[in-house]
Amino acid sequence: MIVSFENRLSRFLGTTAIFIAIILVLFPFFWIFLESIKPPSLGGRPDIWRFEPSWENWGEIVFNSNVPLNILNSFFIALITVVISLICGAPAAYAFSRFRGFQGARYSILAAEMMPPAILILPLFLLLYKLELIDSRVGVITAHLTFVVPVVTWFLIGFFDEVPKDLEDQAMIDGYTRFQAFYKVILPVVRPGLAAAGIFGFVLSWNDLFYSLLLTGAESRTLPVAIAGFWTFRGIELGKMAVAILIAVIPVLILSYSIQKHLIRGIGGSGVKY
Amino acid sequence: MAGLTLREVAKSYGDTDVITNLDLDIQDGEFVVFVGPSGCGKSTLLRMIAGLEEITGGTIAIGNKVVNDIAPAKRGVAMVFQTYALYPHMTVYKNMAFGLKQAKTPADEIDRRVKAAAETLEITPLLERTPRALSGGQRQRVAIGRAIVREPEVFLFDEPLSNLDAALRVQTRIEIARLHKRLGTTMIYVTHDQVEAMTLADKIIVLRDGNIEQVGSPIELYEKPQNMFVAQFIGSPKMNFFKAEELNDKGQSYLKGEADIIGIRPEHLKLAGKTDALITATPDLIENLGEIALVHCKTASSMEFIAKTTDLSAFPVGKEVKLTANTSVLNFFNSTSQQAV
Repeated sequence: MIVSFENRLSRFLGTTAIFIAIILVLFPFFWIFLESIKPPSLGGRPDIWRFEPSWENWGEIVFNSNVPLNILNSFFIALITVVISLICGAPAAYAFSRFRGFQGARYSILAAEMMPPAILILPLFLLLYKLELIDSRVGVITAHLTFVVPVVTWFLIGFFDEVPKDLEDQAMIDGYTRFQAFYKVILPVVRPGLAAAGIFGFVLSWNDLFYSLLLTGAESRTLPVAIAGFWTFRGIELGKMAVAILIAVIPVLILSYSIQKHLIRGIGGSGVKY
Repeated sequence: MAGLTLREVAKSYGDTDVITNLDLDIQDGEFVVFVGPSGCGKSTLLRMIAGLEEITGGTIAIGNKVVNDIAPAKRGVAMVFQTYALYPHMTVYKNMAFGLKQAKTPADEIDRRVKAAAETLEITPLLERTPRALSGGQRQRVAIGRAIVREPEVFLFDEPLSNLDAALRVQTRIEIARLHKRLGTTMIYVTHDQVEAMTLADKIIVLRDGNIEQVGSPIELYEKPQNMFVAQFIGSPKMNFFKAEELNDKGQSYLKGEADIIGIRPEHLKLAGKTDALITATPDLIENLGEIALVHCKTASSMEFIAKTTDLSAFPVGKEVKLTANTSVLNFFNSTSQQAV
């Protein structure tokens, strides 16, 4: 059915629906922001709506907590995870895109994504324990690579599919080897895809709670784990938690917005032609 | 400049043979066109000559040098692709200079060649633009320019006009013909468009299922096709085939030996006199193209064929007509072997 926006009633209904959707999406952010500026003396009660705003929670988090260190940990882990994922994922995606016989196999890389992380965590934990890498950034990076590499690879296949094969043939006629053609000609062409895949992978690693919760300790604790840590035996420190959540969510929003154009194309992976 | 010699060249992917034992000689300076239906192996053959596909058997020699194991860049070939294959992150100038730079040609020599080629193709004002800012026709000129600056021994064209609109296709086709006349370099051109094949080629090679069906000048292929496949593939509309039993006297006065099919090109069909009628049919549809018209006819046994005419009044729709053709233009085939007799 085609809804004509010439019609006043359908226009009104359409606008209302959009407003409701916007409110549903934005209200939690607004509410968390309110919690973050609620004076701690109120005891973190979400049902109180009238109060004197205070930046006490923000000051506490920024100057008097481990959250800045946790942010650094999260940032470092996500960055290294993404760099390794791109180094492995780009050639893999190129191979999936170009070579015959790989067509069926390309879907198998998603199998890693379909597995519940709980299946991997035990062997991974034992392995890292033996290697004395529990509570280390290397350990968390290893765990994050298990789900970021497949996603980045899948994401990039669609971008490589769109680059005509003629381009690398021309590069080979111009004197490049296939590998040179790949990294000197094809990679620059899919730069937007690499950036988008990198950002997507970064956000996945940045947001991870499951692996980080089980593999980190005081040294390597990431931001999501720190946020969960505000749920103490004395109750939830809602104000501080709200500040940490906002800090965690802002880069995700900015980064996701910057790649929104490529996001659908990447998630579509293969077979989606534009 | 150099000719090409292919001896028992074969290509297979696993168990699938794409090209089997193919022999071919291309003279120095010749314009050769590979034609054939999709999947006949014409692009694969071109890519094998370029070195982009490995061959599984035989030898390919450019000039007197066997190039089987030589990298594409060292074979002395330049290729123009259907998708232009311009590097999107480089300007037109850099695109054209890239191959020479890779071959470590001195900078002033590169500059001279790029500017000369740009001048010839009238793309000098575009040199500092990126491919994104060019139209399809301009991109293809740049791609041709990039091939020219390499001063190759053999030019390879892989359906270079397929992505252009009709008017540009004609214009670029003429430019390629002029280029060949001016440079005199061996050119190999792959197309499925027979107008391109007929107008450009010194020699056409018709391929089917990885085998050569016929090699010859355009006019030879048109007038004397060696088999029914070539007869129908070359010419538009394609050649009409008439079985003996559909002809008026069962073709007795024409058919000889093993021939049981007569092939007649649409433009050779004309109204018969009282005695020489070869076939009786009824026109049921007319496509008027202005200077000529295509008359779709049906015989009593519901066989369909096309006649090309400038005189529409001779073919009234729905009324039976008697048609014939000069004996000198008839082609005879055997339906079992599919070969010309």
